Amino acid sequence: MSVLIKRLCLTTAVACMGCILVACGPQRVPSGLVYCSEGNPESFNPQLVTSGTTIDATSHQIYSRLVDYDAASGQIVPALATRWHMSKDGLSYYFTLRHDVQFHQTSRFMPSRPMTADDVLFSFNRIIDTQHPYHKISRTGYPFFQSISFAEQISSIEKISDDRLVFHLNHKDASFLSNLATDFAVILSAEYAEQLLAAGHPADLDQYAIGTGPFKLVQYVKNEYIRYRKHPDYWGEMPKIDMLVFDITSKSTVRLAKLITGDCSVSALPKAGELSVVQQHPDIMLESQPGLNVAFWAFNTQKAPFNDVRVRRALAHAIDKKNILRAVYQDTAVEATGILPPASWAYEHNADLIAYDPQKAKALLNEAGIENLSIDIWAMPVARIYNPNALKTAELIQSDLANIGVRVNIISYDWSVFSQKLSESNYDSVLIGWTADNSDPDNFFTPLLSCSSAHTQNNRARWCHPGLDAVLTQARTVTSRLERRYLYQQAEAILADQLPMVSLAHAKRMVLKRKNVTETQLMPFGGIAFGGIGHENGEAR
Amino acid sequence: MARYLLRRLNLFLATALLMLGILFYATSLFPVEHSYALSGVRVPSLQQQAQIIEDYQLEQGELAQFIAYVQQRLGGNLGLSLTSQQPVANELASVLPASFELAIVAGLIALVLGIPLGVLASQSQHKLTQHCIMAITLTGYSIPVFWLGLLLSLWFGVRLGWLPISGQINLLYEIRPVSGFMLIDTLLSDSQYRWSAFKDVLLHLLLPAITLAVLPFTVVVRITRSAMMNVMNQTFIRAAEARGLKTSKIIVRHALPNALIPVLKHLGLMLGPFASYAIIVEMIFAWPGVGSWLISGIYQRDYTVIQGGILAVSLLIIFLNILIEVLHTVSNPLSRKELYAAN
Amino acid sequence: MRPIKIYQEDQIPSPTLRLWMLFSANPFALAGLWGVCTLLLLTLFGTYIAPFSPEAQDPRALLLPPSWDPAGTVEHFLGTDDLGRDIFSRLLHGARLTFGMSLSIVATALSMGFVIGSISGMMHGLKSSILGHLLDALLSIPSLLMAILVVAVMGPGLNNVFWAVGIALTPQFVRAIHQSVHEELQKEYVTAAKLDGANGLQIFWFVIMPNVWETVIIQTTLAISAAILDIAALGFLNLGAQAPSPEWGAMVSQGLDNLLTAPWTVTIPGVAILFSVLAINLVGDGLRSALTPIRT
Repeated sequence: MSVLIKRLCLTTAVACMGCILVACGPQRVPSGLVYCSEGNPESFNPQLVTSGTTIDATSHQIYSRLVDYDAASGQIVPALATRWHMSKDGLSYYFTLRHDVQFHQTSRFMPSRPMTADDVLFSFNRIIDTQHPYHKISRTGYPFFQSISFAEQISSIEKISDDRLVFHLNHKDASFLSNLATDFAVILSAEYAEQLLAAGHPADLDQYAIGTGPFKLVQYVKNEYIRYRKHPDYWGEMPKIDMLVFDITSKSTVRLAKLITGDCSVSALPKAGELSVVQQHPDIMLESQPGLNVAFWAFNTQKAPFNDVRVRRALAHAIDKKNILRAVYQDTAVEATGILPPASWAYEHNADLIAYDPQKAKALLNEAGIENLSIDIWAMPVARIYNPNALKTAELIQSDLANIGVRVNIISYDWSVFSQKLSESNYDSVLIGWTADNSDPDNFFTPLLSCSSAHTQNNRARWCHPGLDAVLTQARTVTSRLERRYLYQQAEAILADQLPMVSLAHAKRMVLKRKNVTETQLMPFGGIAFGGIGHENGEAR
Repeated sequence: MARYLLRRLNLFLATALLMLGILFYATSLFPVEHSYALSGVRVPSLQQQAQIIEDYQLEQGELAQFIAYVQQRLGGNLGLSLTSQQPVANELASVLPASFELAIVAGLIALVLGIPLGVLASQSQHKLTQHCIMAITLTGYSIPVFWLGLLLSLWFGVRLGWLPISGQINLLYEIRPVSGFMLIDTLLSDSQYRWSAFKDVLLHLLLPAITLAVLPFTVVVRITRSAMMNVMNQTFIRAAEARGLKTSKIIVRHALPNALIPVLKHLGLMLGPFASYAIIVEMIFAWPGVGSWLISGIYQRDYTVIQGGILAVSLLIIFLNILIEVLHTVSNPLSRKELYAAN
Repeated sequence: MRPIKIYQEDQIPSPTLRLWMLFSANPFALAGLWGVCTLLLLTLFGTYIAPFSPEAQDPRALLLPPSWDPAGTVEHFLGTDDLGRDIFSRLLHGARLTFGMSLSIVATALSMGFVIGSISGMMHGLKSSILGHLLDALLSIPSLLMAILVVAVMGPGLNNVFWAVGIALTPQFVRAIHQSVHEELQKEYVTAAKLDGANGLQIFWFVIMPNVWETVIIQTTLAISAAILDIAALGFLNLGAQAPSPEWGAMVSQGLDNLLTAPWTVTIPGVAILFSVLAINLVGDGLRSALTPIRT
């Protein structure tokens, strides 16, 4: 008996020794940075999607654009195009391209030439030319470009020489350059596309991406990680890290836990409630910025009873936004009174016209002659900047609406199924939101609520109002900020009257990071960029 | 003996066929188009459509369809994943090793700790010790595994900061899969960070393996204890005692081998719950194995992944079950005698 | 006049009484029984004593810790979750969903299993052998996988959990009853009854049945604890009860978002699950050890 115990102790001791020995070795980690992202990208080409997750994973990592938007100065700055000018009539834009911009070299593709005007032509013709061999490869279409009527806006793109090209527009547009600076207007490789087409795998263009950005895509394992390596011939300032890994972690609690245990250095989209935990951990810090975004509850205005403005108004009066701000955003967000966030230059503070008033809501419903209303609310299953927890928001709305006798059925699927089913457009209402792609206020209206966007995925209210469209078109053609601001206020007034959707909140853009990480570049609109990020340990210094 | 093995093989085939039958029936009930649920091709060209109809005999009767289904599935064609449009068989092959690694380590922990503890428990005469062991094992048996996993990760991962709580390895280590087992692959890799990576993998493995080991551990302790108590009362033990052998020798040489036979049998019975638990544990600790793959498959309504995952896991369990039964028979002369009597 | 006592010894207890005496001698089992009784009462009447409705949100009391914490209040005894819902009330309402449903699932599975198992157990030869193999196959599918398959066909939801867990549990009953009927059938007292001219039905009901009950009881306790764990696991994985539902597993999953800031939203429903499964297992364990001396 005692021998047995002795042996047992001995084995345990040996095992422990082994563990300690292993643990004693210095723990060395390769140079690089792990970013805990919130979900799978839908594609590796931001032209095809609007979801923030995809933008984060692609736009500023793999690709570059013709022009960039400088958040600090609010100006358009050179990127792949070094110079540009507009013709006098405002209908032609001339671009001069940067020399010696190299595409990524991977196991799949060996670039034979630097980037030229052909690549730019390919990238945009793919979107606007319906006969282009690559146009139909995208099953989702080009939602951002469709929603701003990009194809109708451009009459042709012309190559002048290898490093010069011109965009011819059909009509004047004040937001044209801003649109080129969005995360969606990336430059792809025409040579790679030709090779893939010849090999018969054109769809690989959007999956095994090749770009000119600071990092090249190495490997993507669904639900697990995306691995990037430094692009050694990057045209801009060389990234300080060799490797960038997106650790796909859908639960925000797990992201925070990973940050605490050191499995990742930067973590996306913390929930507001978790900020108190951050204060307890001195090596973690919060980086936040007022965001250009809006969370909203959109009604399917093409479907009864939501085609009746009284019903929409009743539902809007019935929900307590303050409560949502407290429970979902823990008061870190700003209550939305219209679509434009306070950070936009066209914003003007006006009192909320749609106050919380259940009695009025009941009266409006009675007036519309509706009893025993039962509606579906589709709540997106993932956290986004504008709404960290749509499901919880839906539960709050559910209990608010129960007070006025409206039953609510919450519907949620995994994101891929959710967005697919949502595009079948048979929903009652949906809780979703929008993050601006550029600083132009038009970006909040035209993609979301114009007639031309009514058939794209962005216009969740499926809203088409000729009066609003007229105002928006006018606002795009004038260039004076004061005048435009006035026009956008007019647009806001129309929306407040018609209420195709209820704006809920404007959230802050937040990431958590470990103290040793320097210089993240948080874009005020959408994407995150790791090109300039530094890391204090490892060779990256 | 040959006849017995043949019968077991027969049983395996019959069970597998039944399993396929259930899946075949379930596939026809999935709320999507039948050919889509079978093949997973999202937008089939005319040619592909014809191929699918040909492969699965969709224009023939039910029986022909079933035979075609069995042929396709056993031939390794599990269709394409609806979401990623990659072959399910490839995805399965890439996630299986991680699950094996976790299950094997958890099983080893349970056996290595459970058997000695069970033996010790059987030898103890104290009422208090007996009650304590019973209370602990019963609690371990009753604890909801998802809750246990959460508590452990909260405590050891976040509060104490000792162990990582999610994933298989720090993703900065780039390990090329050779065997698929991370513990082996890190050692095989030629990177300069080999040992650090190995240690990292070990640390990542610890919490999920311990969580998963709790259920088999409690069962092993209980069964070993009762089997040992049974065996120690047998006459041959008394004979050994009479010959003046030391207690430790009696236990290790004479009692334990006999006591392990029922343990083996119960291991087979435990496989089903163990697999269920493994799925949940993988889910909580974001372990990139079959379980989390299957669960994300169901979240995404990826019907080909669901079929492939369920088929693989249940075939594996059926196989292991029969293997354990055969081992049990081989190691136990008593049940060998019953072989021909039972049906 | 008192009856004259002829014999020295006390009255010989009936088997049931003997079972009870053995069972109650075990303090653990007795504690388990008390626990199960409490749970039963809570399942039946819990909704009436709950201070709040399970979905009532209190925006002024978000994430309130339990009352023993300095920051907690007695009003919300076990604290509140992130929508200000009272956890104590939700637990009481959830008892009906988790514990109550497990009972009804087991009852359904038991009756199904009883019918199929006894019919198949009474059969002989090839038919019986095929059925045995069929059950082996069904048993080898882990219950969670079976439930996933059902959810894939029917979609998530509490009603579908009923079928998912029920389908997963039935084969266990069928097999247990099948085997024990089959075993009894081989025994000599059955042959004796046959020789007396009893027909199949009589043999089954009067001869075999009384000896199968024990198996059924033990199997039932096992099944209840398995059912609770399965329902909770499905709720936790979001495949069972959906968001606002106070099912205990779903409560754990809803609390997951606040694991780091408000751990009680996860621990308290978990303790409830642990407590109920433990109580059932204690009773089952006690029953098993109380039955063993009778059986051997």
